[in-house]
Amino acid sequence: MAVDTPPATSTYLQLTPAPTRRRRSREALTAWLFLLPSLIGFLVFTAGPVVAAGVISLLDWNLFSSPTWVGLRNFARLGPDPTFWSALGNTAYFTLVSVPLTILVSLALALLLNQGLRRIAVFRSLLLLPYATITVAVAFVWIWLYIPHDGLVNAVLGWFGISGPAWLVSDSWAMPALIIMSVWKSFGFGMVVILAGLQAIPQQLYEAGRVDGASPWHSFRHITLPMLSPALFFVVVTSVIGSFQVFDQALIMTNGGPGTRTTTLVMYIYQTGFKNYDQGYAAAQSLALFAFIVLITAGQFLFQRKLVHYDK
Amino acid sequence: MISKLSRRSFLELGGLAGLGLAAAGCSSAPTSGRATWSMWSSSAEEMKVWEDFGTYVEQQLGVRSVATLTPSSGYSTKLDLQLVGGTASLVTALNGTLIPTYAARGAHRPLDDLIAADPDFELDDFYETSQRISTFNGKTYAIGFDVAPTVMYYNKDLLKKQGVPLPSRTEPMSWAAFRELTKQLTEPGEQYGFTCAPAIGDLVSWIYCAGGNVMSADGGRSILGEPRAMEALEFVIDLFVKDKVTPPIKNLVTENSLSNFLQGNVAFLQNGPWQVVNARKAKFDWDVIPFPAGAAGSTPRVSGTGFAIPSGVREGAELDLAWKLLKTLTSTGALDIYAKAGRNNPARRSAGSAFQPPPANLGIVRNILAGKLAGGHAYDVTTNWNQVEQLLGQDLPRAFLGQVGIREVIDGLTPRLDVLMRQHRDTVSQATARKR
Repeated sequence: MAVDTPPATSTYLQLTPAPTRRRRSREALTAWLFLLPSLIGFLVFTAGPVVAAGVISLLDWNLFSSPTWVGLRNFARLGPDPTFWSALGNTAYFTLVSVPLTILVSLALALLLNQGLRRIAVFRSLLLLPYATITVAVAFVWIWLYIPHDGLVNAVLGWFGISGPAWLVSDSWAMPALIIMSVWKSFGFGMVVILAGLQAIPQQLYEAGRVDGASPWHSFRHITLPMLSPALFFVVVTSVIGSFQVFDQALIMTNGGPGTRTTTLVMYIYQTGFKNYDQGYAAAQSLALFAFIVLITAGQFLFQRKLVHYDK
Repeated sequence: MISKLSRRSFLELGGLAGLGLAAAGCSSAPTSGRATWSMWSSSAEEMKVWEDFGTYVEQQLGVRSVATLTPSSGYSTKLDLQLVGGTASLVTALNGTLIPTYAARGAHRPLDDLIAADPDFELDDFYETSQRISTFNGKTYAIGFDVAPTVMYYNKDLLKKQGVPLPSRTEPMSWAAFRELTKQLTEPGEQYGFTCAPAIGDLVSWIYCAGGNVMSADGGRSILGEPRAMEALEFVIDLFVKDKVTPPIKNLVTENSLSNFLQGNVAFLQNGPWQVVNARKAKFDWDVIPFPAGAAGSTPRVSGTGFAIPSGVREGAELDLAWKLLKTLTSTGALDIYAKAGRNNPARRSAGSAFQPPPANLGIVRNILAGKLAGGHAYDVTTNWNQVEQLLGQDLPRAFLGQVGIREVIDGLTPRLDVLMRQHRDTVSQATARKR
């Protein structure tokens, strides 16, 4: 007992005897026991399915008949499949537009909230609500908002003399409609992260800038943005990964239509696996998506060396 | 009293809890002596019917009824996973459009041997269309619990208000007469003549009435581009795009022709009698009439559903219980419960009288099935119907929206449909080879 109780002096570390092998083993066992649930969860629900997907991608399997080995044939099917490339194109379009928009909205709102507003917690909570609400509910609300004649969106546009499109059934407006809804749904997460980043910037930097005659724009450009770059980088990486996995809002609001205008890659994988009963090809598509995400994320990490500033 | 747990006790309890959880997980597998069955259920009313089915099963079989009820949208996926995982019920409900899909994949067993060995079972009591829908490659894979042709619902109040004579309760009107009537009853932005879903499931009735089909007789190629099918497709698309007698399509996912009709400003709705239970909520007087007759007469799609036994249920007491359960779930007594609740027209002739008015002319459903009035066409599907439906579902709605012409849509889809049809024919050939 005396060994485990730290003395009230600052020489505790020097006085504490080195842990015995038995104690180290006990500590290791305790650590493993605490880690075990997460480890089991990771092995069963993450690593296991990834390995299984790798094996299934080499099979022709409709779930019921015995699977047959087809080697890399499922991967060879990706090239000539126009729906796969169309779904990839739609997903890229969604990502390229929605991620910058989400970051801009998040940044703008975070800057606003960082202006010493009273009751900031209330505003922060309110703005976080869309992110905390389940996508299914949000999607149904937005379906109502987008109704061509009686919907709120077109009614508001009508006040400015603009005749709004039939959003969710329009060839050219269905994807922008999804993007607008997704930005609204997800800006809260980015806003909270960026706000935390803003509040961590030392005020002395701004004071030094003011002493040197920096304008608000210069402060933003040369202090805020560099200091905020790790937070922004985190939001960009997670948003890009999330956007490449977009599924539920497109399924609920447009079911991939009209035509295949809003069919995303994950939606196509789901259709292939569970509607067309082509598990092998769906697994190959999943691994292709995984490869795209890994490549893009790796690219972002390479790029961050130039743009992200870590204050050491 | 709160007592401290030692680490050893904690680990022992943890281990026991783990074993308990594992045992609970295993308990979802079918157990002999329990009548397990799967069904879709998306409303409290449906739930009540299936509860009554459960009570009936327990009374008839003297074993516990255990129903796995899943919302209809997720039913198929859940059933797939249960079948693969070996946890499917002894008897599972199947939508008629999916019976060939499951049969061809060997997910469910043929029932012919069980039917032949059971002198008490009267297959003849089931409507022929129900039997046809339940058959794949010459074998029976399901026993029907409902079957019904598409009919035309109409708003009597609206027609009377417009001074339009009510249509015949027995004689189908011609397409030309129907088109004129819908135009006459349309006041743009206020009132519309007709509504249906912009999908193959509704279009196919018009195609059958024109004498066409989605696929050739051998199922090997798409014939949607041939004149008879094109006549039907153009007719319906024109109602939407040229004549504008239909309510504008607001979105393609939650667009619901029944809700359009229930608003009271649409004269005609194409749908099955399974919607009677919902249409009874209408705040106006309405009835049903035969589907409009095309070049091949009034022969709309006849849809049905049935119960089947998974192929994992192989022999012995388990198979015996499964067959008894399936017979009970499709018996006249059970179907009476189903029909009296107003869910749909039962698949048995002997239970038909339980599906009663309102609406006043509901009897046409049985007359059509019995061949006494107009006609019907069993919904022909392929073993990969999901894929066919999905492909058609991508581009057909664009024609309904006027974004692209129907000829262009069909020409673009035909090569891809042909690939699916060839795959279907190969699947049937393989199934035939296995049978030999």
